[in-house]
Amino acid sequence: MYDAVLAGCRWLENTPWGVAVRASSWMYPVVLWVHFVGLSMWLGTSLTVDLRLMGVGVRRQTAVELSNGLFAWNWIGFGVAFLGGFLLLSAEATTYVTNTGFRLKLAVLTPLALIWHVVVQKKTRAWTQTGQTSAIGKWGGSIEFFLWISVVTASVGFLLTNAVTHP
Amino acid sequence: MTTLATSRWLYGLVSVVHYSAVFFCVGTIVLLDLRILGVADRNNALSALAGVLRPWTWIGFGSVVVSGFLLFAVEAGDFAAAAPFRVKLLAILLAVVCALAIDWSVPKWDRAPVMPVTARLVALVSILLWLGAILASVEVPALTGLG
Repeated sequence: MYDAVLAGCRWLENTPWGVAVRASSWMYPVVLWVHFVGLSMWLGTSLTVDLRLMGVGVRRQTAVELSNGLFAWNWIGFGVAFLGGFLLLSAEATTYVTNTGFRLKLAVLTPLALIWHVVVQKKTRAWTQTGQTSAIGKWGGSIEFFLWISVVTASVGFLLTNAVTHP
Repeated sequence: MTTLATSRWLYGLVSVVHYSAVFFCVGTIVLLDLRILGVADRNNALSALAGVLRPWTWIGFGSVVVSGFLLFAVEAGDFAAAAPFRVKLLAILLAVVCALAIDWSVPKWDRAPVMPVTARLVALVSILLWLGAILASVEVPALTGLG
């Protein structure tokens, strides 16, 4: 299983884009920038809806209004963050994959948070039907909020212990 | 500051706060800018979205400044001398002025039948400044090895 993952990483590193990002003196920070810009949109939208479900903050818009009104930018943010993350991974896949923080982030926490995000997005209307957020809805929002913070935590752990440091 | 410099755990914890708060703060600001530009949350009043987002923006910004200052203090002299770091701070300063101008004007723009050109212009400049601030931020370690 791990052999297959390593083979995939080696393939990624040898793709034209993987080679280009690794060899370039300026592309790595620019790709990191793309990743961060996407994350800002993604977390700005997702966490706002989570907090609204949790019932914290100003309630001038319902959770459903926020979720629908910000929906497009939520997934645009995801697309941009994914593109940046994919290119970053392609540049140094075989090194990243040896890092515990990275493994935790990519194999466990991000998939979990992403699946839960889709559940929250699909269920927001049902959870707030009575005008009040149900207990499940409050938990739903809190769990997603906590999951994304844990993704950031694993990412920072990875960042601070990563063997490759870029110029 | 020596505690932060010698404790990897503490440094990591402050970094987690900084990254989380940056994404959240910039995200909520840019969303409101996009609403002013007419491409987000169009079915609801500008003041309604501003009411929801702005408290989070400023709570996020406060967390960014406190955690950022702590990370800065570890290598303050080196950061202060770094050109991309100065560009970053300048971009943030100008972006905060835009955010304050928007806060100040939301009640007025909310009543306008069409979003004024000034409003759209400030929103656009705000987005560009944040894009610039994040770019300058990633260039600090890339160009100077700091952080």
